[in-house]
Amino acid sequence: MKKLTWRQSLVAVAFLLSLSLGIFFVIRAVRPAIYWHYHQDEPIRGWMTMGYVAHSYHVPPYVLHQALGLPEKPHDKRPLREIAKEQNRSMDEIRTALLEAIVQARRPYPASPSPPTNPEASP
Amino acid sequence: MSITDQLLEAVLLYGLPVLFGVILIASVGVPFPISMTLVAAGSFAKQGEMKLMPVIIAASIAAILGDQIGYGLSRWGGRSLVDRITRRFGGAAKIKRAEAVSKKWGGPGIFFSRWLVTALGPWLNFTSGVAHYPWRRFIVWDAPGEVLWVVLYVMLGYIFSDRVQYIAEILGNLGWAILAFIVAILLGWKLIRYFRPSGSVTV
Repeated sequence: MKKLTWRQSLVAVAFLLSLSLGIFFVIRAVRPAIYWHYHQDEPIRGWMTMGYVAHSYHVPPYVLHQALGLPEKPHDKRPLREIAKEQNRSMDEIRTALLEAIVQARRPYPASPSPPTNPEASP
Repeated sequence: MSITDQLLEAVLLYGLPVLFGVILIASVGVPFPISMTLVAAGSFAKQGEMKLMPVIIAASIAAILGDQIGYGLSRWGGRSLVDRITRRFGGAAKIKRAEAVSKKWGGPGIFFSRWLVTALGPWLNFTSGVAHYPWRRFIVWDAPGEVLWVVLYVMLGYIFSDRVQYIAEILGNLGWAILAFIVAILLGWKLIRYFRPSGSVTV
């Protein structure tokens, strides 16, 4: 076997580094996919609108409007952060109120599929 | 309060003009999280907050226009700067070699950096401009790549409209993974050549 020069070993190190970086990012890409498969719901964020949360959590929008004591407007484009500011509440409070309403709204329906028996994730 | 959140809020509130502006600026080279913005725009279209075709058209035009600005700036502004630097510090031969590489491989490089390895996009606009890659050929490779990028991302957001955050996260990480693997392949190729006996036939 040939002895590696200083420059060649540098290339080898860079090669291994980029390879492991690639694997690292693949793992990071797969993680949300797995999370998605089991948990279905994505976390409520400040940029989301009431409409988006209702859409993402598959609940009727009026449930969420009631939870925050807002009149229902069909195309309310205000992000939640804005609503929180107007109501003098923190995003955490808004999030909790919405999640509570979502749980209530889903209650009468059969329980959402549990993780172990979850079939192919259908969007 | 992240930039992503602010961008998405602005796109929701003000619609197409903001989307257009953000993608234009990002295509020139400002690192905005536009992948997420595009995916979100697809979701907003699905929910009826925005219209699908105008989103795709506006985003495509903005991206192509932004690339031309990046290319133009480096072709007419960057070139003289590079010349001044090489005159003072040397390295003109290296620039010449980079130009040759760009002329030979520039086309597919431009195309794939539009939609597959988007992190390299603005960088390739710059190198193409500095290397005087023919403008017409630049547009021919650039435009289909950008349209593909926009359609791909917006449609993913449209289809998985209730999973914007996840989709954007997956796409972002895959983009970096592909970039890392491309670098690994190039370096691996170099390594193989080191180890091959010098007299062997080159493939």
